[in-house]
Amino acid sequence: MKERLGVYICHCGGNISDYVDVEKVRAAIEHEEGVVFAKTTMFACSDTNQTDMVQDIHEHNLDGVIVASCSPKLHLTTFRNVTERGDLNKYTYVHANIREQASWAHSDDKLGATEKAIHLVKAAIAKSRYADPLFPNQFEAEKTIAVIGGGIAGMKAALSLAEKKSNVILIEKGNRLGGHTAEWGSLFMTDEKGFELTTRIENDLRKYNNVTILTGEEVIDTKGSIGNFELKIRRQPQKEDDPMEIMELHVGSIVVATGYDHYLPKQGEYGFGTNETVITLPEFKQLVDKSTSKSLEFKGKKINNIAYVYCVGSRQSEGENTYCSRFCCTSVIHTAIEAKKKFKGIQNIHLTRGIRTYGKQELLYAESLQMGDVYLEFDEHTLPEIHTEDKKTVVTVKDILSAGKEMEMEVDLVVLVTGMVPRADQSIGSMLKLPKGRDRFFNEIHMKLRPVETVIDGVTIAGTCQGPKNISESVNSALSAATKSFSYISKGTLETEPIIAKIDQDACSWCDKCSNACPFDAIEQIEMGGRTVASVNPIVCKGCGMCTPVCPVDAINLIGYTSEEIMSMIDALA
Amino acid sequence: MEERQIIEYDALVIGAGIAGGEAAINLANTGYKVLLVEKDHSLGGKMILLSKVFPTLDCAACITTPKVSEIARHNNITVFTESEVTHIAKKGDNDFVAQIMKKPRYVRVEDCTACQLCEKACPVSVRDEYQFGLIGRKAAFIPFSIANPKAAVIDIENCTLCGACEKACPTHCIDFTMETEYYELHAKTVILATGFNLFDPLEIPRFGYGQYKNVITSMQMEREIAPTRPYNTILRPGDGKVPDRIAYVLCTGSRDNTIGNPICSQICCMYSMKQAQLLMGALPMADITIYYINIRSFGKGFEEFYQQAKGMGVNFVKGKIGKITEKENGNLILRYEDIAEGVVKEAEHDMVVLSVGVKSNPSAGKIFDGNSLKLDPLQFVAQQDFLGSPAKTSIDGVFVAGTASGPMDIPDSILSAGSASSEAISYLTRYQSL
Ligand SMILES: Cc1cc2nc3c(=O)[nH]c(=O)nc-3n(C[C@H](O)[C@H](O)[C@H](O)COP(=O)(O)OP(=O)(O)OC[C@H]3O[C@@H](n4cnc5c(N)ncnc54)[C@H](O)[C@@H]3O)c2cc1C
Ligand code: SF4
Ligand code: SF4
Repeated sequence: MKERLGVYICHCGGNISDYVDVEKVRAAIEHEEGVVFAKTTMFACSDTNQTDMVQDIHEHNLDGVIVASCSPKLHLTTFRNVTERGDLNKYTYVHANIREQASWAHSDDKLGATEKAIHLVKAAIAKSRYADPLFPNQFEAEKTIAVIGGGIAGMKAALSLAEKKSNVILIEKGNRLGGHTAEWGSLFMTDEKGFELTTRIENDLRKYNNVTILTGEEVIDTKGSIGNFELKIRRQPQKEDDPMEIMELHVGSIVVATGYDHYLPKQGEYGFGTNETVITLPEFKQLVDKSTSKSLEFKGKKINNIAYVYCVGSRQSEGENTYCSRFCCTSVIHTAIEAKKKFKGIQNIHLTRGIRTYGKQELLYAESLQMGDVYLEFDEHTLPEIHTEDKKTVVTVKDILSAGKEMEMEVDLVVLVTGMVPRADQSIGSMLKLPKGRDRFFNEIHMKLRPVETVIDGVTIAGTCQGPKNISESVNSALSAATKSFSYISKGTLETEPIIAKIDQDACSWCDKCSNACPFDAIEQIEMGGRTVASVNPIVCKGCGMCTPVCPVDAINLIGYTSEEIMSMIDALA
Repeated sequence: MEERQIIEYDALVIGAGIAGGEAAINLANTGYKVLLVEKDHSLGGKMILLSKVFPTLDCAACITTPKVSEIARHNNITVFTESEVTHIAKKGDNDFVAQIMKKPRYVRVEDCTACQLCEKACPVSVRDEYQFGLIGRKAAFIPFSIANPKAAVIDIENCTLCGACEKACPTHCIDFTMETEYYELHAKTVILATGFNLFDPLEIPRFGYGQYKNVITSMQMEREIAPTRPYNTILRPGDGKVPDRIAYVLCTGSRDNTIGNPICSQICCMYSMKQAQLLMGALPMADITIYYINIRSFGKGFEEFYQQAKGMGVNFVKGKIGKITEKENGNLILRYEDIAEGVVKEAEHDMVVLSVGVKSNPSAGKIFDGNSLKLDPLQFVAQQDFLGSPAKTSIDGVFVAGTASGPMDIPDSILSAGSASSEAISYLTRYQSL
């Protein structure tokens, strides 16, 4: 039982103290049993306060520390490390979240927010009294890294790991590397051809003998966790009656780089599928790249006037893709310029929702304006319409750049500027239990603090599987993810959190309820002294606590959240 | 010639904004020894001075302060503040020699407790650059409350050498005999993270910045709404009135050939909408109008952020501002072309925020021998293989991180820093076996 506790209550520079009366909180808890002192601080996470905390621990001979501040997601680790620098076991540190749970949640009720904060801090103090020192689990980690997906992001991730002398296995489902990038001709910003770019990276990759490249192979099952993942790989049968080949791989970390799908317009969306002069941006890019004649032809007909309808499948006001796909404005403008330069008699008409050629990409927009491209703009409520009149394609649009005037034009080709959507094949995500964001792309832990990590330890995300990106943005994210995966396991040993489930095997009579409840398959059945009992794999267990309430004989405790700790917290909250 | 101390590190990182800081941490965590050189008095670059950051509205200080604290405390990172790299020569692969000039702070950082007694004692008041001129500071001063290192500085240019601070300092850490120190650094790789400069709106006289007091920049507004804000509320500088009709002028100094900057700054749409949302929280009665050409909310969660701003009642007007004039009561008349209606209109606001753009900081170009470090036409560090290896520069072994290569928001700067440090680690590994 801890008897010398120090409590810090953070203003969060106003984020908390604008709504929670932090002085009142301090006064309300400073005489709680065991509390040696309680202080308020402007930014608990600042360097100055961290230094003060370490000093306080020594000076006041503290045995427990509590910080009441923001979400533990942000700074639990920060304060655990401070506690450790004060020579206390870092797991005895207890965090109270009075920002997300009090000040922000009740910004309309300052008194109530303050009351709630007092209760939360009291509960944290109660827990702190019982918080035992804990020690991380140490184990050996496999030093090989798997990269799943052989597009530009996966290839660059693999290459950068190879350069760092790490063993890498690059697993690609399709029969070649390069992903979507390899399908393209000229790319925006450099005019390098897509397949030339992927070929030169592939050539670099093949120079390393610490890289294994698997194409035509698919991950069908994953087991284990950071340091020791088991991947089951199936080789796609090459001929019809080839036998199915299954292979198992042992890796320490996984970079997921499974990319995106092109948005496929619905049948009839802007005439797609019903009017054969309506095609998508990827189809148009291929057409421009592959055509060698002096003029552009499509289905035997010469193309002069082209209408580009922007944001198809993106920025939907009705529909699930509310996000902007980020690359498509620049991509279509670049391709339209290319078409105009390459073929005779092209007139480009862009129907946009506001051009988003951010950064230096603006120069392409400027060039296209200079070349005489026409830009019209519509809003999300009055979308352009495509009709067929006498076998001719007619586009109508209400142009907000000319005071909402209705415009009608006859065109030879309509290009639907389709965006990016998450992969239809979500098997990797489901196998690894990767969380998804509102946009249904994989989600990072924190956009600024941990942008390439996922809540599944040891699994990082690279490229467009995390959200729309262009090529250089995908490469930046891939190299960041690769370095993160590398840093997890490059030492060969790993530590995992000691906060896991623990089974009282004398009380357990194996009913399998806990193993069914565990989302991570961490509980297995073992024989012990002639009895069948449950056992927790400490490396796999995430300490989520799903198993504890289902046990009919109450044989499971969550270390760090023992019944004693939780009951004392509930008493303090009541 | 001055006396030079010779020092050795694996990596030299120039610039300690979020990009440089992130790159330094990545290298240090992989086991490399890093020297992080920052010309300013504190770590953290522009980000540490921001309010909250889009699109998640995390408080910028809450993310930056622990990060700078980690940097300052890391066993593998040495920080030089108020220092400049004056010259770098590449002697061979994995072999760079840099000349560094560390200017005197006139305060021994180890001994300073940031008690601020020197500030109180100092009789000289000047414009506070960390509050972007909204208030003043002393010549003996702590840069800002969450600065790292948090220690006093003597601004020797404005100091009258009266000695008042020296007498007031209880720990006797003020030392006017400090001199510039010179170092010769041997490093195996270099990361350039020298960041960006803000566009100076004095270049557009028709907006009246500097002439009309209630026309401010977005960075000044950022300070007004930051937790460590200069006033305890939002005020217009002209007369201290709480504004209730605020206008934002987007693309100030961007997408504008007349001032020589044709590109889009890619952060100003988003930070303006962020400020608008924060202002609506702080001043529930205020009307906020954003004058824009296009809204560029392209990143993860950004378009949703835009829709949220619209939903909260921020008024979006597609229009280009021609001219701003001042009324006697300090209010401002904006003359603009309303694109949706195709007519020229006027609107009155009581405060105008200029959403100033990103300009390059060409300082890195001058450090290297001859013209070996290539810059792009806008003086950003040129990316040699933009698609395949965005962090590579024209010099093998020198990498670029963050806004030094072009406009970028914080999430993109962090990924770019991840990329640069990854390339640097690969480069270091390449020569380790030899
Ligand atoms: C008003 C405003 C609001 C913003 N709001 C947001 C937001 O809400 N969300 C978001 O994502 N982004 C926002 N941004 C953008 C954000 O500020 C930048 O993306 C980010 O700061 C870039 O970081 P950096 O490290 O590249 O550059 P900087 O922050 O400029 O850092 C560069 C560092 O290098 C130092 N340096 C420069 N030259 C040298 C040299 N020669 N030697 C040594 N040191 C040198 C500088 O002193 C500085 O410390 C905002 C920007 C502005 C202007
Ligand atoms: S990048 Fe342009 S076309 Fe693509 S979704 Fe965004 S606004 Fe629409
Ligand atoms: S980001 Fe928006 S405000 Fe900034 S330059 Fe680009 S379009 Fe203009």
